[in-house]
Amino acid sequence: MRSMLTNIIESETEELDLEIVEASSGFEALKILPHHQFDAVVTDINMPDINGLELVSFLKNHPSYRSIPVMVVSTESTSEDRRRAAALGAEDYLVKPFDPAELVAKLRKLLA
Amino acid sequence: MKKEDERARQEFASEAEELLEALSSGVVELESQGSEVRPDLVNKIFREVHSLKGLAGMLGFTDIAELSHNLEDMLDKLRMGKIPINRDLIDVLFDSVDSLNRLLLSLGDSEIEGLVDVPKLTSRIHALSNRQEHDVEERLLDEIDLDEQTRRSLTEYEEHRLRENLRKKKKILSIELDFDFATFDERLRAATGALNETGELISTLPALDPSGAGDGISFRLLYGTEAEIEEIAAKLDPAARIRSLRKQEESEAEPVAADAASEGGIDDEISLRSVSRTVRVDIGRLDGVMNIVGELIVEKTHLEALTRAVGAQQERISPQEIAKIARNFDRKLSDLQRSVIEIRMVPVGQIYSKLSRTVRKIARELGKEIELTLRGEETELDKMMVEELSDPLMHIIRNAIDHGIEAPDVRQKAGKSSVGRVTLDAYQKGNSVVLDVRDDGRGIDVEGVRKTAVARKLIDPKESIDLSRAIELLFTPGFSTAAAVSEISGRGVGLDVAKRNIQELKGTIEVISDAGRGTTFRISLPITLAIIQALLVRSGEDTYAIPLTSVEESLRIRPEEIRTVEGREVFNLRDRAIPLLRLADAFASRGVTDREKYFVVITRSGDRQIGLVVDSLVRQQEIVIKSIGERLKKMPGIAGATEIGENEIVLVVDVGSLIEHFGSEARGARRKSQKAEGRRQK
Repeated sequence: MRSMLTNIIESETEELDLEIVEASSGFEALKILPHHQFDAVVTDINMPDINGLELVSFLKNHPSYRSIPVMVVSTESTSEDRRRAAALGAEDYLVKPFDPAELVAKLRKLLA
Repeated sequence: MKKEDERARQEFASEAEELLEALSSGVVELESQGSEVRPDLVNKIFREVHSLKGLAGMLGFTDIAELSHNLEDMLDKLRMGKIPINRDLIDVLFDSVDSLNRLLLSLGDSEIEGLVDVPKLTSRIHALSNRQEHDVEERLLDEIDLDEQTRRSLTEYEEHRLRENLRKKKKILSIELDFDFATFDERLRAATGALNETGELISTLPALDPSGAGDGISFRLLYGTEAEIEEIAAKLDPAARIRSLRKQEESEAEPVAADAASEGGIDDEISLRSVSRTVRVDIGRLDGVMNIVGELIVEKTHLEALTRAVGAQQERISPQEIAKIARNFDRKLSDLQRSVIEIRMVPVGQIYSKLSRTVRKIARELGKEIELTLRGEETELDKMMVEELSDPLMHIIRNAIDHGIEAPDVRQKAGKSSVGRVTLDAYQKGNSVVLDVRDDGRGIDVEGVRKTAVARKLIDPKESIDLSRAIELLFTPGFSTAAAVSEISGRGVGLDVAKRNIQELKGTIEVISDAGRGTTFRISLPITLAIIQALLVRSGEDTYAIPLTSVEESLRIRPEEIRTVEGREVFNLRDRAIPLLRLADAFASRGVTDREKYFVVITRSGDRQIGLVVDSLVRQQEIVIKSIGERLKKMPGIAGATEIGENEIVLVVDVGSLIEHFGSEARGARRKSQKAEGRRQK
């Protein structure tokens, strides 16, 4: 089942013509990584198995994934975690709830 | 050096010495005040460092000036309350005082110069100075050795959980697991499921597989638990790398310090021994001493009353009454003695963190992966012994890593994990404390030892050797020379020095080798050096004290039971031939006469036994070993002297060196002379 976030991203980024692959957990994210050529990763911070920071840390220390831009999505209350994600090398962040227009703008910038 | 320079140097040295002395006692006092530090004390220390800086700067002693300048900055922040007082800071202060003392010594001795790594110490001082006021929470995280990547990948919540685990004094383990990429999720879930039964999984950090082949993935788990490491290990794949992240009480908590130290050279070895001669004492133990002293005062009052009575000749004093007081005194004094011994006891864990730092460094230098497990840190030993123990222990651990543990590829071929395991296990056994250094390496390579011994001209090329001879050779001076140690420490010290250090502590080293599976170096030490139980024996007109820790049993024999085998006296004890040594021969006792019966005291040092033949057994007694003059010190078999009763001084036998000196007489004259040569070199 696709999450709401995925649906939102897909509908809001129609104009960008993106193919979205969804992972419902940290492990799943790790598993699908080698099977696709990702142009960007959008990740939540709180998720099952491994959290978003751990995923960012993995990506940014991996020779094959290092250059994929990462955007973390989190709630307002976890601003400290956003700061940590940035320290680990995440390129951008988005605060839930977010304005879809903002998402599109940020993704556009990431993909540029 | 020009004359005026020399005079300036001397003046500086004497003034600096005074300042350092004051500084040192200030730091000791600071340590004793815990977190409730008197501001004026900090201020006083600050001023002393300030004066030292000025003095050194003026005279151009740049190292001292630089170090004290940085210290001054740190102390300034401390007195302004900008940085907290904690264990790290105290450690840095102690180390700084120590380094300043060394620098001061080096003014007159170029050899000592270079032993002090000023930049390293400076970076530790900076790390402390630049840390803002931590709250208690922040300091909690300093209790563990958390690698940078894991720390940075913790979410705020995970960090909170980590703190909670720390606050509850749980063990914090780092568990590293490797998986095939295809199945990692199932297998990791199984592992985490099992782990959640006995603790809390705090974080799960994925990482590249170490092989780099791309078909695997590793995870580093942060795990809080009350269970023992062994119990956790049993739940997991044997290849799991588990280590405790909690630092020891006395550790240098700063990661910066750890890094700096590992890059340092020779200084590491010196810094293994702490400078502090201070023992922290549980107030309850002091109360105990105080009570005994109170009781002794009561006895003294009795005695005084009796003395007065005798003086006034008012009444007859019965001998029983005096004997009773003497008995009470005796009892109280042994209570007192026991209490003082207890006070001298500290946990051996105090040196563990320093050991693990050095192990990391050695492993890196040798390109070996080592997992060090330290157990029994709560085992108590006399403070001074713990101090003296760290260097020989380090040598033995280094030897295990260098010679015991094989290179990673060799290990893999032998079907072992590429990570070598070294375990230090401390435990009490009777009146001794035993430290086992165990590795899972190749065991003692007898042929390799033989080749080295031949190359070092310690044995004849034609001589074939067995395991016990190989072990003996390992501890022979000159065996581990440059080639064996230079890559690591650059110093020509080997196992012979470690053995001598242990013997000076009245301890023994025993080696247990299991070919292909590992080696154990077993160090046994008496719990305290100060007071020991001894067996008093008589040989001719002389009395000797034999430490009871070395005595296995004593029995009476008739002269005809002594046989001569291969030129040396032996006797059969339960079908085993025990080599004999007449104490009278060993020490040239006076007034020796032939007797109708003798006593044999069976003694042991490591795995070697010898029967000491004496005329009679006197009694068992607690003795206080006193060191003896240089001349007697060189005499093999003598540990020191002790006073037994009325001004009677007797020699204390050192069974270890006695066996070493006389134990292998039957091996043949050639080797004997070589051994004697070796001993002289010591």
